[in-house]
Amino acid sequence: MADPVTIAWAPPAARYSLRTRAPQGLPPILASAPFADGHALGLGPDEWLLLLPDGTPPPVIDGLHALTDIGHRNLALLVEGPAAATLIQGGVALDLSLDTFPVSKATRTVHDGVEIILWRTGETAFRIEAWRSFAGHLHAALRLAAGDL
Amino acid sequence: MLLIHCPYCDERRPELEFGYAGEAHIARPPKPDDMTDAEWETYLFVRTNARGRHFERWRHIHGCGRFFNAVRDTVTDRFERTYKAGVPRPGEADGWTGETGGIV
Repeated sequence: MADPVTIAWAPPAARYSLRTRAPQGLPPILASAPFADGHALGLGPDEWLLLLPDGTPPPVIDGLHALTDIGHRNLALLVEGPAAATLIQGGVALDLSLDTFPVSKATRTVHDGVEIILWRTGETAFRIEAWRSFAGHLHAALRLAAGDL
Repeated sequence: MLLIHCPYCDERRPELEFGYAGEAHIARPPKPDDMTDAEWETYLFVRTNARGRHFERWRHIHGCGRFFNAVRDTVTDRFERTYKAGVPRPGEADGWTGETGGIV
């Protein structure tokens, strides 16, 4: 029988924080959408996280904006499998059922005291972005909880 | 768990995503040089300390990051309403008189 859930480090990626009040081609808050060769995650009314293939130079954005390379700051975990939502629910106080947290929804929240960006990439797949110095604890917490599934 | 409605995310989110940021609707005086020490002290330190309905700032720090305002009852800890920063105090610009106005 396959594992109910797998936890893996995501491959390196380019990450940019984009702040603008005149978004064009960007998803609304709490949603994600394809952007260039990657994805844009709407974290706030004027804040987006751009996840692009590793090595991507800063994208060209129209209008007044602030674009910051935060690729060095984050690490990401890929949590996949039938029990993925159950596992993450162990540390996140949001309702992760498909009704309230549908596929492609993304938000910043807290997992077991660690600030994360939670992105549902599939019905049974999540990507969790965390600051580098917190990622070890996050990984350990998820593995510990996975042992209780 | 206490759920707080974030007017920017338009969702009720768990309390632990939020930070408290003091009383709302306290504007910085435009000309501090013209004020007496007593007036400046009042601006800096004197707060309503309400027992009951209180207008206060909150920040969705582990979410969208925005500051917003809330009407909370300090006795029951119930959030009557939350609204975006920069919007007039509920009841001043609209007809809101209490909790029956719902969460906006």
